Amino acid sequence: MAAAKTRTSTFSRNLSTAPPSHGPGLKCGPNGTVFLSSGIPDLDKILGGGFPLGSLVMVMEDAEAPHHMLLLRNFMAQGLVLGQHLLYSSPARDPRGFLGTLPSPAASKDDKSRERDPDQEKGLRIAWQYKKYFGENQLDGQRDGKHEYSNEFDLRKPLERHFINGPRIDCVSIQDSDLSTLRDRCATFLSQFPRNDGSISCAGRIAIQSFCAPQCAYSNMEWDMLSFIRSLKSMVRSSNSVAIVTFPPSLLSPSFCKRWQHMADTLLSVKAIQDEDKELAQLLTGYQDMVGFLNVHKVARINTQVPVILEATTFSIKLQKRRYLVLECLNQAPVDGSSGTSYGTSGGCSSSSKTGNLDF
Amino acid sequence: MAESIYRALRDGALEGELAPALTIKDSVASPFALQVFSHVISQLFSSILAGKSQSRGLVVVSFSRSPSFYLDLLKNKGTDVASSNKQIQILDCYSDPLGWKDQLAGSRNFTALSNEAMVSSNAIVFREVKHMDKLYNSIIELGKDQISSIFWLLHSDLHEARVTAVLEYLSSIVASLEPSHQLANGQRGDLENFSLIKHNSKKGKFHVRFKKRNGRVRVMSEEVHIEQSGINFASLPSEGAINQGLVPKVQFSLQLSEKERIDKANVVLPFEHQGNGKPIQIYDGRRSLVDSKHERPVSAVENVQTNENCGSGEIIYYRDSDDEMPDSDEDPDDDLDI
Repeated sequence: MAAAKTRTSTFSRNLSTAPPSHGPGLKCGPNGTVFLSSGIPDLDKILGGGFPLGSLVMVMEDAEAPHHMLLLRNFMAQGLVLGQHLLYSSPARDPRGFLGTLPSPAASKDDKSRERDPDQEKGLRIAWQYKKYFGENQLDGQRDGKHEYSNEFDLRKPLERHFINGPRIDCVSIQDSDLSTLRDRCATFLSQFPRNDGSISCAGRIAIQSFCAPQCAYSNMEWDMLSFIRSLKSMVRSSNSVAIVTFPPSLLSPSFCKRWQHMADTLLSVKAIQDEDKELAQLLTGYQDMVGFLNVHKVARINTQVPVILEATTFSIKLQKRRYLVLECLNQAPVDGSSGTSYGTSGGCSSSSKTGNLDF
Repeated sequence: MAESIYRALRDGALEGELAPALTIKDSVASPFALQVFSHVISQLFSSILAGKSQSRGLVVVSFSRSPSFYLDLLKNKGTDVASSNKQIQILDCYSDPLGWKDQLAGSRNFTALSNEAMVSSNAIVFREVKHMDKLYNSIIELGKDQISSIFWLLHSDLHEARVTAVLEYLSSIVASLEPSHQLANGQRGDLENFSLIKHNSKKGKFHVRFKKRNGRVRVMSEEVHIEQSGINFASLPSEGAINQGLVPKVQFSLQLSEKERIDKANVVLPFEHQGNGKPIQIYDGRRSLVDSKHERPVSAVENVQTNENCGSGEIIYYRDSDDEMPDSDEDPDDDLDI
């Protein structure tokens, strides 16, 4: 986001001041929004850059599978690796135990792709008149900037101790405490990141797991939980942070389930997959590797009236090599049963790893 | 498959993980949960006695049956209850759960009935079911050690939907009993349904959902027959129901409706040799379709032919030249000159 860039179109924005530079892990997006990464690069691409600061993300759990924990782990680990502050609360007696399961960033895979690109550029020159418009976004974000914003996480490698023991993490157990205590903790946490017009030095992340779990004393008090969510949303909106709240919708009455969904700025849901389901195996490619489904119901649009219309809203959650979380569009199985493309690779024409990244 | 439940409970909790929890639920339409529950108890207890299971003792909290029911059950299954005092403990919440007998003893007209002879030292009467903390503490006291596995019986009709949902959320295996034949709503007295009701009183379907560690759900079904001697599990006759609820909404519809299937079958595919022995005729787009009602075996391998307008499908093609014989060897690309 340098102020001096080559003119690619006849229109140039009248920028009187240079855009503010932000701390690590933050990316500027359209309409003055600032994004932070969800920890899953595929999910960032689906959502158009990441989670916007000031938004409330809600994840509807499936009572039969722990996939929401995968999302939470990546989210929390991403924050810790980039030096962002984290508040984590869960219904367990000792939430700190969960921090031991956070994944570590994967060893950089960029070396491989970097080797491939110069070869391609030598052999093939594509004369495409629109390339100049896309060039800046793609090339910049790809390599160097990438690790400052988002990482791929290796779920088999635990996060290094010094990240977890730092002063930037706060844990709250919601099993015995009541909602007002939790609200106060969130308020003190969020007061560290007030939103003003200047540059943002650091951002905060709040992760609340299984908010209406039956172990919590307040789980019967539906109106109180709803008002907590509403106050959390307003606190988050006026600060430089993102809050994720996961909850099992089957434990709420239907009207409250709907109210909670309306509260969310970004709404996701995870679903379990039946094991050894022959019909599903015939219908979808890559069924064997799939761990679950992720549905994107709503994408946050804070500074604009234009909604996001996604090409696809259902994605399969796969663990590549049992380590890396990827989200893939669902693909109907063709006759030969080749697997589908990850959302991250550009262009719908390449479906095998042999063809490179030809951006059409 | 009932075997897999038994094995999961018998093997108990792995290091660092939560103990397996089983919910057995039924409803009025198929009320066999008690038989399933008894079956599981007797199997578990015999494995405890034989030393094959992770757990060394069994604590039974009985609400709707007296402790003697469980002891007799275990005796009938051949296990030697008398000598296994330490291994089974029953918390009796059946005889006097709310402590009424003590309260009534104070009133004048009450003649104390002789208590049923305590069956054995195994059963401890618990009188304060209203106080959940005390109930919990007594169970833990009886159990003494860590819990290896836990299972409970639930009549889903008697509870609100939320309670059933919470218990299913907490359990790692959910076993539900359903009637083999679904009855039409509210027509219990109907003659047609009477035979179905008779059927449903003797057998049902047993569905089990296992929550696996990798996040997948294993679903199994069996048929259940209730007999005098107990309960029998048999594998279901295959019905091939597609689990529609799990197929996510994809951008395009993947199933064909009946009408679409018929139309698809009616589309005449353009092949020159359909093997019917009829002469090959090539439609060149000029003649009318009136005299060609039935399917014509026409078209070359790479040419697409006009189709009969039988359904809504139509393949329209105009041949390049009339001179071209069908199946000629010439390659149309030959006269391209680049």
